[in-house]
This record gives sequence, structure tokens and C-alpha cells, in this order.
Amino acid sequence: MNRKALSLSLIALMALLALFPLGIAQADEDCEFADYTITLGGLAPMSAPGAVAGGVAMDWAFAQAAADINAACGVEIDGAHYQLEVITGDSEGSPERGQAVAERLILEDEVDGMVGVYHSAVGLATMGVMEENGIPTIFSEPWNDNVSANGIREFDGAAPRFDDGIDHIFRISPTSSMVGSVVTDWLIALGVQDVILIVENTDYGQPAAADEQARLEAAGVTVSQIDIELGTEDFVPILSRIQARAMPPDAIRIVVTGETSFNLTQQMAELGIAPTPETICVTNQIAFQHVQYWATVPDGNYCAFNRVGIIPSLFNELAVELNTGYEEAFGDIVPSFGMASYDAVWMMKDAMERAGSYSDAAAIVAAIEASDITLTQGRYYFDYGAHNPDLPEGTPAYMWHQWPDPIVTVMQYFEQGQSSLEAAVVYPEVYQTHGSAYIAPGTSP
Amino acid sequence: MALFKRVENAIDASIGRRRLGYIALSLITLYFLWFPNDASQSDYYKTVFISGFFYAIMASSWALLAGIAGQFSFGHMAFMGIGAYVAGLIARDGILVAALGIQVGPDYISAVGAILIGTIVAGLVGLVIGWLLLRLRSAYLALFTIAFSELFRIMMLTEYDYTGGSNGLSLRQLLEIADVGVARQVEYYLMFFLLIVCLLAMYWVANSPIGLFLRAMREDEDAASALGVNVVRYKIAIFVFTSMIVGLAGAIFYSDVGSERIIPEQLEVLQMSLIIAYAVIGGMESLIGAAAGAFICRYMLEAMRKVVIGLPFGMTTADGSTEFVWEPGAWRYALFGVVTVFTLRWMRNGLLYPFITWFSGRDIAMKETVSIRADDEAAPDALEGGSA
Repeated sequence: MNRKALSLSLIALMALLALFPLGIAQADEDCEFADYTITLGGLAPMSAPGAVAGGVAMDWAFAQAAADINAACGVEIDGAHYQLEVITGDSEGSPERGQAVAERLILEDEVDGMVGVYHSAVGLATMGVMEENGIPTIFSEPWNDNVSANGIREFDGAAPRFDDGIDHIFRISPTSSMVGSVVTDWLIALGVQDVILIVENTDYGQPAAADEQARLEAAGVTVSQIDIELGTEDFVPILSRIQARAMPPDAIRIVVTGETSFNLTQQMAELGIAPTPETICVTNQIAFQHVQYWATVPDGNYCAFNRVGIIPSLFNELAVELNTGYEEAFGDIVPSFGMASYDAVWMMKDAMERAGSYSDAAAIVAAIEASDITLTQGRYYFDYGAHNPDLPEGTPAYMWHQWPDPIVTVMQYFEQGQSSLEAAVVYPEVYQTHGSAYIAPGTSP
Repeated sequence: MALFKRVENAIDASIGRRRLGYIALSLITLYFLWFPNDASQSDYYKTVFISGFFYAIMASSWALLAGIAGQFSFGHMAFMGIGAYVAGLIARDGILVAALGIQVGPDYISAVGAILIGTIVAGLVGLVIGWLLLRLRSAYLALFTIAFSELFRIMMLTEYDYTGGSNGLSLRQLLEIADVGVARQVEYYLMFFLLIVCLLAMYWVANSPIGLFLRAMREDEDAASALGVNVVRYKIAIFVFTSMIVGLAGAIFYSDVGSERIIPEQLEVLQMSLIIAYAVIGGMESLIGAAAGAFICRYMLEAMRKVVIGLPFGMTTADGSTEFVWEPGAWRYALFGVVTVFTLRWMRNGLLYPFITWFSGRDIAMKETVSIRADDEAAPDALEGGSA
């Protein structure tokens, strides 16, 4: 290509790029926006050591929510329409950087609210920044119980995080305790008596297994635990120990992530250990990625797995729309934290409209507490907060400013090569899709 | 170039470079002392500066260990973590040494006491590690410290019941000041003075006879040993000294001065490599250079999240704004990598080294040495030629 042709191509390309903003602006043409743009800060891990893939999905969801809100004439307060913008701040998955970027968003960008956060450590570290500056915040992914529990004055795990009587932090993701209980509750409901936990030796695997073991043992179930290292490929020695038992266990629960989980499940199925009519196979939520699952675990039919987030068969219209956009962008089903991040922006918009202000933090917090809005993950509301401060005895402290209904389910494949979109939801009963709490190997629902 | 030469000569003839350097350093110090009182700056910039001071201590102490003493360690972040974790755990749980019958409840341990214990433990671990491995040389030291770092990080991750795992450990607050603005100001000065004290202590070591021994060991360990330098003792001493400095810095920084909690991911080799890169960019043979490099890098990495340029002469962007906003945030670590590569390839002594040598007048000495060497090399030829 000669220089002239190259120059012309560049000019053409630049002209094309210049036209892009016109196309985007088209959707907003019918609305007359006020001069002020409402800004929300979105905290997400966009670089290492944070979980970048999660951050990218969250960033996409923030932008999508803002675009959809603006296309619907923005945030309407006292008859005026305000455009909404979400500024994503890279927390890097580090509490220290998370605190700095939260301050930047609040003090330099002067955001009116905060949404997002992926890592619990970042959530726990940044809560103080939001409280100090009186910024209404909706967390969309951190699971640590204390993120919401710390809001209660009586909580003895840490100093109460608010001094002015207003707790600005809300959470719409599940807590660790909520996630941990679903599989054990299901197994207990099925009446199992003898369970083997195969656990990865990491900070995820060990506490999760300890939690599940405690719950099962409290229900009188006998539990044995086998630890494995991530990256192990040959599990025959471990599995031979299970085969050598006089009686097969009622269930084998795999608390292992990633490829290792697939290898283990396949070898377990190949050796005829589980799933069998005697032994239930419960693997990890990564089994939801059905293409990868069936490619690596061809013998894994009838295995169950836990899933965080709304199940595709229960997607409402808004969720379908969001999922379509996500699939176009990333070629996969939208993850729960993508949906929660999208919903958090909408919840903030809804609260500001009901509060009649984008800057009155107390009014916005009160409006979030009184939320009753259905978005991609379902109906959002908060049982406990300043509007209802007394938690009944036995209610966990983390229910403060906590959405009570994040969907955590147990799903089960029942056909070889089945799409996860068609897999059965077996627990909790309220979400069952095939009227069955467990599909025994060799049967159909 | 000629103008620069003329200015340089004028400075040499009048005030002198070294004195000018001291004046510049004093002005920079005065700026940092004044900065928190600048009402136009928000607390965010103070936070960035506090973080910059912390990383300046980390990078300069690594420069002392690796650049001056020649001990290429990857264990710096681990020793920082030991200081922070020990301070946090002791302040939370107290001390129990059953064998000695010692039991001190957490209520009897102040935040300052916990920080001091954290610092001492970092030094003691440094002593043990140093005693074990500093008899080793070159790559073995680097490999051992990587292994030690990872070992410590994984311990902090897997002992989650005790350390909080990946949710991190919240240390006892060092400064309990209700007013957020005042608290930030005090935190700023605390971290700044800690940097100054650490730099002075390291500068004193580097310029003492110990510093000479360390440099001699770096250049040729066998020769230094043959001349009577107790190589192992000095290697252990400098290892313990830098371990205590980073242990102290970590314990203070994570006591809610710079950050509210420490997480094991902060101890990853990736984070250690950032410290090394800061020191390399600033100049790993210069304490001031490494500290300045770390501070500038931290500041730039934050500033590059979003760049706003005010347009001159009433110019506006397409949307009518008088500001041009550029967000290179996603690329900031990539650009940082480019700068590191550039430094390693073309300016191995660091980007700030030319300034430091110019101000210190060392470049004159170096030029003279080079010209003397050139004369010496030329002389035998001339003599040979002359005798022919």
C-alpha cells in the first residue's frame, strides 16, 4: 500500500470513528436532559491481583445499565431528567487500592452513589470510606457475612461503622453463609447419613468445607473429608480409598474449583463411584459451564451442582435482554455479579427518584431501605434497616441491609450433553423446575 | 546544549551543585510538609501520597539490600507482611508463650506495642532466614526468598481461621482521631516522617564503614573476604536491618494509616516485582533515587486512571466542554512496563540517576576517572611510541 492510500484509509477510519458518538446519542434525542449528570462510582477489579474477568463483566453491566437508563430518559427527579453515568474505578482486588480509588471517586469525581465491589476484602476496607463521606452504596458481589453484619450497632465483631445513625451500605449478593447452606440443606432434606467431602486445600475450599461439615454434623450426618491440591490430575489413589470402603457413601460433595474439579468428577464417574443409585454426586458451580463440563466430564450425567444467581429458566424479560447483550459481547451466560451490578445501578436510580434527590444521602438510604422493585434477579427489598431495626432472635446479623432472596440453587443434569439452560433445578423446592428433589441415575424427571 | 553547559559552569562557579542539590531537597521537603495544608487538595491526594511514602520505604530499603549490598531478595513483601500480620494478631489475641508461662491479654497491648513487636519479629525471622541462606550466593538467595514469600503467603491464606484468609486481617487502629480530616493529616505526617527517619537510617548505614564493606561485598565477595570483611555477618546484619524497616513500615501502614486491612494477595511475587520495578526506575544504587522512583510511580499509576486537560484559548471539545478527558487507566500498568523495559535497556542506573549524580557532583568525578583511565590507557602507547 502506498503512502497516499494509507493516508486515505486513516482519514476514512477516523471519519467512521467520529460518527460513532452520533449513533449513541440518537437514543437520547427524545429526552430533554438537565445540565447536571448524576454519577455513580462503580468499584470493580480491572487488573491483577484482582479477578479481572469478574471486573470486566461488572464494568460492562454498569455501562449497560447507564445506557438503558439514559435511553429511558435518565433519572427523573421533580420533573427534571438527569443523565446517569457510572465511572468504573479499578480496585485491583486490593483493599489498599480499593480505598484509594473509592476516595478518588467520592472526592474527585464527586459521585452521588457507589455500586459494585467484587472482593470481600475490598468491600470490608472501603465501607469505612463510604460511611465517612455519607455515600449511599449497593454492593453487588462481596459475600463475606460481615459486609452487612457490621452495620448493626450491637454487632460485636467490629466497631459499628456508623456514628450518625445512618448506615449507607446495602448488599444484593448472597452472603457466604447463604451460599454454604444450600447444598447441605438439600442433602439433609434428602436424608443422607454418610457424606464424603473432597476439598481443595485453599482459602476457599477449607472454610467452605468446614462450614458444610458443621451443618451436616449438626443434622446427625457422618462426614469424612479428603483434602486434595489444586492441579492434581490423577485421583485414582484417593478414589480407591473410597472404593475400598465396606459401604459406599450416600453422597460425595466436591468442594474443588476449575479444571481440577472436572478431572476429579470424571475419574469418579469413570470408576463407578458416583453418581450411582447408591451415591449422589455433587460437584461445583463451575459445572454450569456446560460446554466445558461435557467436554471434560462425558460420564458426568446425573451430577448435581450448586449455582449462585438466578437460573436461566427463571429469567424474566429484563434478564433475557441483558443476557442477550452479554452473550453478544462475551459469548457466555451473564454471571450473577453482572446481573447484580446492572440491578444495583437501577436500584440507585429508583431510590433517587423516590427520594426526590440525588444528593440527599439520608433520603436515598431511606428510599433504598423501602425498595420494592423487580429487576433482572427478581424482586428487591430489605427486611431490616433503620425502617425495621429489630432483628428477631435467631436472625443472623448479616440480614441487616441485606437482600434476603439472592438465588442460590442446586441444579442437576439428567441427559448426556445437556445444556445447563435445560438442567433441572432440584432445590430449593420453590425453584424446582421438574417437580423433583433428586433425579436418580437412569431415571427421567 | 551550549546554554546548558554555560548554566552548569555558572552554577559550579557560584553556589555549587551539591549545595544546589541540598536546596532542591529542602524545597521538596518543605513542599511535602506544606502539602496537607493546601485546602484545594482533597483527602484523596493525601491518601495517594501516604501510599507513595510507604512504597518509597519499601523500594529504598530494597535498594539498600540489592543495589548497595548486592543481595537480590524477593522476600521484602513477606517481611513487610510479617510485621503487619504479627502486629494485627498480637493486638487482637495477645501473647501466649506457654513454655515460658507468659500470657499477656490483648487489652494490655497498645497499637504501638503491637507494631514494635511486629517489627522485632520481622527482624528475628530475617535473622533466622539470613542465617540459613546468606551463606548461599546469587540465584540461590533469590530462589529461596521467592519460596519463603510464597510459603508465608499460603500460610496466611490457608490459616484463615486465624488470619482471615483472603478477607484479610484488620489491624488495630493506630490513630484514633474522630475528625476524618485531621486524622488524614496526622496519618500523612506520620508516614512522611517515617520515610524520612528510614531514609536517614539507611543513608547512615550506606555511608558508614559498614556501607563500604557492603559495597565491597557486592563488587567481589571473595576479595572482600580476603581483605578481612566478615561477609556472612554483614550480609545477615543488612538483611535483618532491612527486614525490620519493612516490618515497621508494614505494621504502621496497615494499622489504618494507609489501609484498613492486609490481605495475602498483597504478598504475592507480582507485588514484589512492582517494588523492584520502582527501585529500578528510580535507581537501585541510590536510596533517594529508589524512594523518589517509587513515589513518582505510585503517583503516576494513580494519576493515570483519568487525565483531565484544560483546553487553552477558549477551545472546546465536540461536546462543548473546555476540558479534554483521557482515560488511559486500563493501560497504566502496560505503560509502566514499557518504562521499566526502557530503563533496563537504556538507563540501567535508573531514570533519576543522572539528576542525582549531577546534583551530587559525582558526574564530574566520574568524568575525571574516565579521562584519567583514558589517559592511562593511551600513555603506554605513547611511551611505546616514544621509545620506538
